[in-house]
Amino acid sequence: MKIGGVYQLPVARDRAYSMLQDPAILARCIPGCGGLNRTAGNEYNMQMKLALASISGLFEGKVRITEQNPPESFRLAVEGKGKIGFMKGDGLLRLVDKDGGTEVSYVGDVQVGGTIAAVGQRLLDTTAKMMIKRFFDQLAECAGQ
Amino acid sequence: MAPTIITKTEKLVGQRIRRKEDPRLITGTATYVDDIQMQGMHHACIVRSPYAAAKIAGIDTKAASALPGVVAVFTGADTKDVGPVPCGASLPGLRVPYHHILAVDRTYFAGHPVAVVVATDRYIARDGAELVEVDYDPLPAVADPEKALEAGAPAVHPEWADNIAFNFHQEGGDTAKAFAEAEVVVKQRITSQRLIPTAMETRGVVADYNTGDEALTVYSSTQIPHLLRTLLAQMLGLPEHHLRVVAPEVGGGFGSKLNVYAEEALMGFVAMRIGKPVKWIESRRENYLCTIHGRGHVDYYEMAARKDGTILGLRLKLIQDLGAYHQLLTPAIPTLSVLMMPGLYRFKNIQADIVGVFTNCVPTDAYRGAGRPEATHGIERMVDILAAELKMDPVEIRMKNFIQPEEFPFATATGLIYDSGNYDAPLKKALELADYPGLRRRQAEARKQGKLMGVGVSTYGEICAFGPSPATPAGGWECATVKIDPSGKVTVGTGASPHGQGEETTFAQIAADELGVGMDDVVVVHGDTAVVPYGIGTFGSRGTAVGGPALYYALQKLKEKIKKFGAMLLESEDVTFVEGRCVCNRSGKSVSLAEVAGASYRAMKLPPGEDPGMQATYFWEPPNFTFPFGAHIVVTEVDADTGKIAVSRYIAVDDCGKIINPLLVDGQVHGGVAQGLGQALFEQAVYDENGQLLTGELMDYAIPKATMMPWVESHHTETPSPVNPLGVKGVGEAGTIGCTPAVVNSVVDALSVLGVRHIDMPMTPEKIWTLLQGGQA
Repeated sequence: MKIGGVYQLPVARDRAYSMLQDPAILARCIPGCGGLNRTAGNEYNMQMKLALASISGLFEGKVRITEQNPPESFRLAVEGKGKIGFMKGDGLLRLVDKDGGTEVSYVGDVQVGGTIAAVGQRLLDTTAKMMIKRFFDQLAECAGQ
Repeated sequence: MAPTIITKTEKLVGQRIRRKEDPRLITGTATYVDDIQMQGMHHACIVRSPYAAAKIAGIDTKAASALPGVVAVFTGADTKDVGPVPCGASLPGLRVPYHHILAVDRTYFAGHPVAVVVATDRYIARDGAELVEVDYDPLPAVADPEKALEAGAPAVHPEWADNIAFNFHQEGGDTAKAFAEAEVVVKQRITSQRLIPTAMETRGVVADYNTGDEALTVYSSTQIPHLLRTLLAQMLGLPEHHLRVVAPEVGGGFGSKLNVYAEEALMGFVAMRIGKPVKWIESRRENYLCTIHGRGHVDYYEMAARKDGTILGLRLKLIQDLGAYHQLLTPAIPTLSVLMMPGLYRFKNIQADIVGVFTNCVPTDAYRGAGRPEATHGIERMVDILAAELKMDPVEIRMKNFIQPEEFPFATATGLIYDSGNYDAPLKKALELADYPGLRRRQAEARKQGKLMGVGVSTYGEICAFGPSPATPAGGWECATVKIDPSGKVTVGTGASPHGQGEETTFAQIAADELGVGMDDVVVVHGDTAVVPYGIGTFGSRGTAVGGPALYYALQKLKEKIKKFGAMLLESEDVTFVEGRCVCNRSGKSVSLAEVAGASYRAMKLPPGEDPGMQATYFWEPPNFTFPFGAHIVVTEVDADTGKIAVSRYIAVDDCGKIINPLLVDGQVHGGVAQGLGQALFEQAVYDENGQLLTGELMDYAIPKATMMPWVESHHTETPSPVNPLGVKGVGEAGTIGCTPAVVNSVVDALSVLGVRHIDMPMTPEKIWTLLQGGQA
């Protein structure tokens, strides 16, 4: 499934870029995230609780940040698996100055399998969008602190 | 022994009699597999692959085994010596992948069983299954059969890079000549999408091993208890006589339980290993992922004809989505499509090429109609496409090409001998019931008002009564036993194990008529290999059409014995058995069936050459298939704003030969039409490009609900079959076979004003709306 969208953050681009790379902040902002632990340079292990349609479960995942080009863009790859299936996502995030803040746009691919695919596919699109929105809302809140 | 006056009572065969099964079914007192409780029974939960294709790098069962209440965890390493899940079909050059009951080092479809957790209750089993850690290395997968045929597609089985399980060619007549002489040729790609059979009762197995007797009893929701016993015994390495299979109440099968599944052997294996009874009940999600699917065709048709509408020949390239493995009959199903290609028409030039394709999906196999709905959809669509091309009425073109009553028995180009038929009769009756000219006038009016109304006709034929043994993989005969108790009460045993067909009623009607007793004097037993002699099972519309004649002949055999005992008791050679009594034609004296039966068991005296007791068994081999037919007319209205299709009339005139019970025949037609409408309008099993099933539950897979059904006007003509003494043909699949082309023809007719020539199923509102916007559906 292709995903994409734009979000406005009320902070300067340098700050926005560094926040998006900060494991502590990411852990606070990713919905359901139970913590990010660095395993290598730009690789983290993540625990995440996910609920989709009538199912929910814990995912053990990996987050990898690559193609870093501060403060303009980077690539984010997320991989997770749990009892209710697996998910894989890969997206390119771009940051541009806009209206005194930063506009973050993203395009990517999400793949799911197992029970979440079999029973949750029809809600995947809206759930992914909602989770991404909650992530950026939370990030905007962090920026204000 | 007073002189008796016999009054002729009305025959039960042909009557609308309510089912003997119904009281227990509607009061919840029937016993399904999940109702079985046993002392010390354990419960199993199966760990399944979330990946359509993956290497299994390792399985860690420690955490699961440590969970209190878990008694055993087995993986493919434990079960690899159990025999493979069997494929009963054989075709020249067929590639048969070894089908372990649990994946050994690789998984081939999403839902592939990988391990089983056995616990003291089903909740612990499920919790335990979540603790099994499987380390998968995902591999590329392919789910679309046409993509699987492309160069460079992922190989489902690494040993066969082209994903081709078999190529099958069949030809009759001279197709090249027919196409060379054709004045018109029409071509169309037609799909019959993957469907999920959705029996109301999912699969379930209880296995109970008696370590003292070394005997295993397997209770399974199956259509074929005896075949299952033979094949399971081989898989488990058990002597066949140490295995008993029981099909208790079976809540629907539609072909999905005409199979031998990994889980049936797995539960036998578990019970033998733990020495306790074990139960596995399939969840609905497992049912959708792991029980066979049906259909899965991509068909390329070419029809040759003359300008006057005479059909000359038909060519078909058939791409069959087989899934990852062959289940019991998987590769045989598309060959049935080829047999049925000519439909009801006289042309004798046929060419078919099947390519059976492996995909990383659950296997396809028999689903109500099994190959014949696909073929009927093809021929009936092509006839309509030809009619449109020639601007002929779809009724006229059909009547022009029908085989005529005097041409029977009719040899088809595909090697069948159609037994009997009068194809005009149901069509004419349907046209009259529908007021066809009136419908066409209404349609013209509607079109003037800008409304989209369609009238669709399908005239179908089908192959029933599977079947002569040489044409079936495991024998196509059936058996019946009739036993009369000393009190004169009758027990009928049939090998045609029913799963909703109502044989306890129809077979009681047949037996009661022959023996001159009442419905309540007969009980029909089935489904237990320890109770009834070897039988083949119920599928392919064979219950009544093969099981029925077996019963008829068993009854004739027994009636001879009754007459001999009657003659002995009446001390006369001139005795008739009529209305349940043996009557001396000279004295008029008579004895009742109970008196005769009682005498046969007391055996104080025996007729010369007779043994005691009153029981007869008959194994009947049918000399041919039967070939029912019919005409369905469907009126639809398409909402031009939303693309929603309303079926405003559904007229079904089915000719299934002699009718035993019209109520049950109507029930079969209604149910079949519901599933046909499901395919035509709503249902589709969808896999994404990675082999993930996206329609994994009833929220996403749209089976028709009661409110989505039109009233089905079910009518009949009766053309007896000469193949069997009852004249019956079979009707279990007629609805699904006749329905889909009638509905699609109707909607295409409605949209023909927009230049629409064909629509693939399911005709969802979105698809129709897209067409209405000028797009490609």
